[in-house]
Amino acid sequence: MGIRNNAASAGKICLLVILLLVGLTVLGCIGIKTAPEGGSGGTIADGTLFLSPAIKQAGGFGCAPPSGGGKLVALNASDGSRLWEVPLEASKPAGGGFGCAPAVTPVAIYGKPAVAGDLVYVGGYNGKIYAISSSSGALRWVYPREGNLEPIVSGVVAALGKVYFGCSDGKVYALDAATGDKQWEFATGDKIWSTPAIGDQTLYIGSFDQKLYALSAADGSKKWEFEAEGAIVSAPLVYNNMIYIGSIDRHLYAVDAANGSLKWKFLADKWFWTRAVAHNNTVYAGCFDGRVYALGAENGEKLAEFDLGSPVYSWPVLVDGSIIIASEEGKVYTLDTADNQIELLADVEEAVYAPLCASEGVIYIYSQEQNLHALNAESGARLWSLTIK
Amino acid sequence: MGIGDIWNLIAMQPMINTLIVLTSYLLNSFGLAIIALTIVVNVLMYPLTMKQIRASKAMQDLQPKIAELQKKYAKDKDKLAKEQMRLFKESGVSPAGCLLPLLIQMPIWIALFQSIMRVMAVIPENLVGLSQYLYSWPVVYSTLPLTNEFLWLNLATGNIFLALLVGGTMWVQQKMVMTSTADPRQQTQSTMMLWMMPIMFAWLTMTFPSGLALFWVTSNVIRISIQYFVTGWGGLVKSAPKKQVGRDKKYKERIAQVEEAPEGADIVVPSSTEEEGLSYEESGGKRQDRGGGYPKSLRAIRRQPRRGRGHRRKRG
Repeated sequence: MGIRNNAASAGKICLLVILLLVGLTVLGCIGIKTAPEGGSGGTIADGTLFLSPAIKQAGGFGCAPPSGGGKLVALNASDGSRLWEVPLEASKPAGGGFGCAPAVTPVAIYGKPAVAGDLVYVGGYNGKIYAISSSSGALRWVYPREGNLEPIVSGVVAALGKVYFGCSDGKVYALDAATGDKQWEFATGDKIWSTPAIGDQTLYIGSFDQKLYALSAADGSKKWEFEAEGAIVSAPLVYNNMIYIGSIDRHLYAVDAANGSLKWKFLADKWFWTRAVAHNNTVYAGCFDGRVYALGAENGEKLAEFDLGSPVYSWPVLVDGSIIIASEEGKVYTLDTADNQIELLADVEEAVYAPLCASEGVIYIYSQEQNLHALNAESGARLWSLTIK
Repeated sequence: MGIGDIWNLIAMQPMINTLIVLTSYLLNSFGLAIIALTIVVNVLMYPLTMKQIRASKAMQDLQPKIAELQKKYAKDKDKLAKEQMRLFKESGVSPAGCLLPLLIQMPIWIALFQSIMRVMAVIPENLVGLSQYLYSWPVVYSTLPLTNEFLWLNLATGNIFLALLVGGTMWVQQKMVMTSTADPRQQTQSTMMLWMMPIMFAWLTMTFPSGLALFWVTSNVIRISIQYFVTGWGGLVKSAPKKQVGRDKKYKERIAQVEEAPEGADIVVPSSTEEEGLSYEESGGKRQDRGGGYPKSLRAIRRQPRRGRGHRRKRG
């Protein structure tokens, strides 16, 4: 090591190594997202597709603002033409201490918008619920009117004249659908990211406290609770007086809707994150292990399993007796429930996390690349693709 | 299998799952798990850390001699390099001695850092990402997601108290290893480092989840303890050095042997600190050396009887 000024060189090298260590440590964060991106997937009502696009974070430590997101967009479902869009922004900067946080930041929306009457409802990661006119995009009300709740990851359900959602503060809220006034709240033991489901005047919702709750939709009183072995993030499926719900403990549970008793449970290799779909007395559940399991609704017997090659995050949809399901890497499959045969419908070649939606033989898939793809549900032909951000 | 997969398999997965299991056994407290794992990793790295500190210490002890050589051979760079190499060789100090242990430790620290970030999984994207690192242990699945509350802190957000603690402990650690030098340029560099690093880390702490701050504070406290064990308070306390005992004394004797060799000897011909025109403190002698800076390679040499001033050392 032909060194001149060895001591100084060694000192400098040590300094460089320390700085490199700091640099690498910081760079180690790349790939670990620090800001929510959202991306809600679509909901269709009266030929209009409502969607909240994902936010693309600039990343690194630059002052570049995040791209897209923070809005509710209404599109013509037939051709994707934009009808209106409403910005949803947090008034307080959410940036770090780099002195360049923008005055307002886009709000990440994870849950599917819900439509009831002439209003569309979305819950934001900024802890607000927005009620917006489905025809004009005018803001009708916001909850809470002052301040914010904890982040809302759960989707919103609008039914029985109320709007229901779970919050990261561990509470389930019911608001008056017309005015946004709070009707009741119910506290669980931990965060709620699960989207609720309604069946027979009962609201079912899972919590990080590892429990599935059945609450009276009218007043929020608890009917029963069921304890799983791990936190529950997925949305419950109500089907034939049973509740089917997956957990990050790798089980899919079937629980009696009447009393919360366990009927059966099925163990997979990884988490169940997405909601299951049921048809013909069979439950179809996508899993992080890259498989879709077809299970007997009555007894949990495994009828078939299908390897999609990458995890399943997005909610599948049922279209004319076929389950349409997308894998994370963007492959879209159609699963014929009559004979449990699966075939590749299309490959959008982009990551898909958002729930799928379908209407009149068209599948709408929103990717994390901020593209909305409309596919023919039978042939898989791409009808149109749009960048929505 | 790519490099990323190998990294995940050998570093991230063990670290992440250990953190989760520790959380489960430590009252479901992620904060306690971070502290515990940081201590465990530090214990495992103790030999390397000691090696690094000792090498740095030995390097610091040679600074007065190096400064003198630089002064003496300012116009002859080749001679300077040659003499410096000889000084390092004779005193058993390697200029890169502090590098290797640091390089070996680096990936482990990065893995620990990344693991803490991943396990916190504040936003949905991170929780989804975490799923690919988990072992099929029931305790792992039943413990997740972790709660981010620890004492009065939310480990998912920045905290000014922890930021100050990170900056403060880092400053103390830096100050302990800081050495005085006659070279004003080096002195400026050292002072800059003394303030820049703590300020930079405190700033980073404010922008990162405070779970990381907990990791940094714990690491710094451990490093301060080890440093104290090896060198005493070092540059932190400007007091007269304690009576040298044990290995430190022997190490000093060996350095003195090198220093006392006569002009023109095959080994480097140093002069005493008085000859350099430096006071004891200016020469770095103010440090309380507790023996840790003693290089292994000097052990054999130190058994030789000390030669008097002017004695020409035989080679071979």
